Amino acid sequence: MLRYTLQRIVYMLITLFIIATLTFFLMKLLPGSPLKSQDKLTPEQVTIINEKYGLNDPLPVQYVHYIANLAKGDLGLSFQYDNRPVSEMIAGRIGPSAQLGLQALIIGSIVGLILGIIAAIKHNTFFDYGATFLAVLGISIPSFVFAGFMQFVLGVKLQLLPVALWEGFIYTIMPTIALSGFVIANISRFMRTELLEVMASDYIMLAKAKGISQSGIIIKHAIRNALIPVITIIGPLAVNIMTGSLVIERIFAIPGLGEQFVKSINMNDYTVIMGTTIFYSALFVFIIFVVDILYGVVDPRIRLAGGKK
Amino acid sequence: MEQKQLDNLPSDLFRPAAGKGDLERIGRPSLSYWQDAWIRLKKNKGAIFGLVVVILITLLAIFAPILSSHTYREQNLALSKLPPKIPVLENIGFLGVDGKDKDGFDVYKAKNVKEYYWFGTDDLGRDQWVRVWQGTRISLLIAVVAALIDLFIGIIYGGIAGFYGGRTDNIMMRIIEILIGIPSLIIVILFILIFKPGVTSIILAMVITGWTGMARIVRGQILKMKEQEFVLASKTLGAANSRLIGKHLIPNVLGPIIVTTMFTVPGAIFTEAFLSFIGLGIAPPQASLGALVNDGFRFIQTYPYQLIIPSIVISLLILSFNLLGDGLRDALDPKMRK
Repeated sequence: MLRYTLQRIVYMLITLFIIATLTFFLMKLLPGSPLKSQDKLTPEQVTIINEKYGLNDPLPVQYVHYIANLAKGDLGLSFQYDNRPVSEMIAGRIGPSAQLGLQALIIGSIVGLILGIIAAIKHNTFFDYGATFLAVLGISIPSFVFAGFMQFVLGVKLQLLPVALWEGFIYTIMPTIALSGFVIANISRFMRTELLEVMASDYIMLAKAKGISQSGIIIKHAIRNALIPVITIIGPLAVNIMTGSLVIERIFAIPGLGEQFVKSINMNDYTVIMGTTIFYSALFVFIIFVVDILYGVVDPRIRLAGGKK
Repeated sequence: MEQKQLDNLPSDLFRPAAGKGDLERIGRPSLSYWQDAWIRLKKNKGAIFGLVVVILITLLAIFAPILSSHTYREQNLALSKLPPKIPVLENIGFLGVDGKDKDGFDVYKAKNVKEYYWFGTDDLGRDQWVRVWQGTRISLLIAVVAALIDLFIGIIYGGIAGFYGGRTDNIMMRIIEILIGIPSLIIVILFILIFKPGVTSIILAMVITGWTGMARIVRGQILKMKEQEFVLASKTLGAANSRLIGKHLIPNVLGPIIVTTMFTVPGAIFTEAFLSFIGLGIAPPQASLGALVNDGFRFIQTYPYQLIIPSIVISLLILSFNLLGDGLRDALDPKMRK
């Protein structure tokens, strides 16, 4: 297990390093500079400002500085927002995003599991078809369309929930539902397939032969084994929520990280784009790492095979 | 003793078994793989619904902008923000296509407009009917081209890795593993920031990260296939590697390839819409479905039809591709034959 964990950590660091390098050189290809109104500045002023952002050094020196700063958690200064440190800007925005993301992931997982279990137990009945249909809808309808639909029906027409903004729990309901749609659909589909497969296996038949009740079999034997592979899709789903939050936060005017990222893209605030990209990537890589480790913990076959799936 | 009795049985106790010829009869017509798949697909109502809708939307996307008297960029401020009005359907109240705005005010009468704008007009007086189908055209174009390039690269890369195996495979798969570790959306966003939004750059950005899925599937299938006897037979008869890959292996892994492509297309439609949403999509006056939905959000309270119609089209399109893909996955799997 230790060997497996170490191997995963090394992989994680390599990936992060590649992402950081890639981001740096891609951003250097972009036109533009931190100067807002370049024409009005004298050449001396331009030099001074470039000096402040370290833009006068040759590229390799900039790169080394950048990687060294990154290791210290320093993401540079914003080009647009009066030199605020990017790391500070990210820290200030992470709260609402984290809350929304966790709510969506937890609620989505619970609802998805329940739907999937019902569909599998009531296989080939009305419930099964209903749950399957819901899952296809959840995968097909983009979160922003769903968000717009809810805003229109629940917010504008029925006036049950606030249309947008971020002023308390009630404001989180619509964005959470919009983000969790995809999670619900995926988990329920996956759970249904896994559970059906487990229910057809020999040890379930043995349990039946021993006279254990249907509910006992499902709770004690079937669900626990079907849950193991479901862990693997938590990673991709978390990533989906992260990307989904970019648009959802914009639609609902939530002061989160995604909203800031979209804004910085539209304002050409390169250091903020770079910093947020790296932050998102690090989070992504970390989630994959945690999922891999968790999977190794619950399924001994993985770690015995030396980390090869 | 017993044996002797059996030997002495008189021959008139025997008669020929009836219906001998029947045993040799072929019970059902022999079907090719594709006929068989088509029969299974036809039984799946969802898949047929998906197929019909995909064909319908594609036809509309191709022909609606050509046949209309308006163009997607023609503006007429005098006729801006007209609600949808469709002949015949206008008499069915709850559909809301009677040319009245949300307060029940007949804008067509007030502005003295005789023409019917089926999907209404936007804030610049452009015909939404044409814009929606023009947008669908762009979205479909981007998605299909991206999926085809993915397919092309994926088959070559996965085919080589799977066929040659060993160290080649090992190196090629490590490269893919690193690419998969990078969140694809980040790459797409950075790429479009550098190469300015446009149809080509969006397609390229999606391909950069998109081909890995196809490559992995092709590799896995080829690895499984190449150990089989018919490949060995062909090899023994002196077939070259290119012939083995092109004639024997690829046709046999076509099923999973088609299914994967079917799921790539809706994914690409979604990604394009997403990019439009964060301001990196198709620039006006061109339209894509995502851009139209995004524009529609501005008028959610006042002119909701501008949001609702493109939303329905994009959802229906993605839904149909997913249903069709699901159906094809079952239909193209020979193990599902009953």
